[in-house]
Amino acid sequence: MSDGHRQPISAPPVLVYRGVRKLFGDFVALSDVSMEVRKEQVVCLIGPSGSGKSTLLRCTNGLELIDGGEIRLDGEALPRDWNGMRRVRQRMGMVFQNFELFPHKTVLGNVTAGPMTVLRMRRKDAEARAMALLDKVGLADKTHSYPAALSGGQQQRVAIARALAMEPTVMLFDEPTSALDPETIGEVLNVMKRLAEEGMTMIVVTHEMTFARRVADWVVVFERGTVIEQGPPEQIFDAPLVARTREFLSHLGWAG
Amino acid sequence: MNLDWSVVWRNAGALVDGTELTVALAVLTMLIAVPGGIVLALMRLSGSRLLTGASASFVELFRNLPLILVIYTAYYVMPIAIGVAFSPFVTGLVALSLNVSAYNGETFRAGIGSIRKGQSEAAFALGMSRWQAMREVVLPQAARRVLPVLASTWVSLFKDTSLVSVIAVGELAYTAMRIRSQTFRVLEMLTAMAAIYWALGYPQAKLVDWLHRRLGVSE
Repeated sequence: MSDGHRQPISAPPVLVYRGVRKLFGDFVALSDVSMEVRKEQVVCLIGPSGSGKSTLLRCTNGLELIDGGEIRLDGEALPRDWNGMRRVRQRMGMVFQNFELFPHKTVLGNVTAGPMTVLRMRRKDAEARAMALLDKVGLADKTHSYPAALSGGQQQRVAIARALAMEPTVMLFDEPTSALDPETIGEVLNVMKRLAEEGMTMIVVTHEMTFARRVADWVVVFERGTVIEQGPPEQIFDAPLVARTREFLSHLGWAG
Repeated sequence: MNLDWSVVWRNAGALVDGTELTVALAVLTMLIAVPGGIVLALMRLSGSRLLTGASASFVELFRNLPLILVIYTAYYVMPIAIGVAFSPFVTGLVALSLNVSAYNGETFRAGIGSIRKGQSEAAFALGMSRWQAMREVVLPQAARRVLPVLASTWVSLFKDTSLVSVIAVGELAYTAMRIRSQTFRVLEMLTAMAAIYWALGYPQAKLVDWLHRRLGVSE
């Protein structure tokens, strides 16, 4: 228990997935996916590209609608309609692989966009909240810069602040460091690690195995749209029960 | 051939009035056709079959008819068909607005379509509605890409306003032609008209070039 924040398995579940199924035409993107995310847990989704990890995140906040099974948030099944999902999304922050900052807005404008547009917060209050968050991700001096003037790592930290500005109960990270230069990956992972230590509930799709090993409370291994193994990181990384997990990790050069 | 340029100076007042009307016609047309184009584009992208079909029909009809035909039709048919007779100026404005709205509709559709899907998804992920995402995230970015194209359309429109002279709207072309037929000073009036259109059009075209350079390629 290296980081001292791991949550007991008895913490209440925030998200529960039961038999989740998602099709894209004839292609089965997710099949019979079941897992749980408990309060203040960090759950890492790992597995080869195209194995359904990102799709599961996108189904979680309704950017894609599931075709079968169910996802429960705080005990309530996610609505299957757009407007219902819109309310749910306000409680989930999402960080994208390609940042997707709004290029026509300043850093401050990006972080206040959610609170001002969706929560109708007054500018002064939204900016105060944004400043606190930018300070937290170490970018208080970039408030009035435009995204194009920032490095990839800085942009992704702004994107994290933008998502946090809605005060979400869960944060979803979709390969947050995959588009980054190696030298800026660390600064983003550090922000995420600190967030985890503060008790944020997080689902992280990642290829950063060192991060998953150190920070995750629970690791879920995907392959071809199904969960082939899940368990605490010691199990997955040190003594995987499934041969395919071992193969995947050794493929990445993971030596344990 | 002897030229008498005094006819131009003697009629300077009328030419200025005509020029003002030309500018007014172009400005008012654009003021109608920009929101018109946005509405057409949003209808086209709405996902509703009815709205998409209505918008596509409108665009394909008015984009593919000669403007002069639309002007004549508005002038002769509109009073009979819908029972209201507008002044020539308003009739010309209607015809130009129909034509330019159709073009702008396509321009905005392309502009909105050029914004990455991830941008609206990022807006949705914050909990924004479709309309909020459109207003806060997509349209401001699309506007930037669309501006150079709109400016080109504006330059065409500025010259195309001369077509409404066929229904006796007293703008620059009509005024110049009227003076010509009263004084028989053809070459002088054509030259004066050309000089005024060119002097007004050239800086606009340069501005468009500048906008293209400035906004055309940036992401």
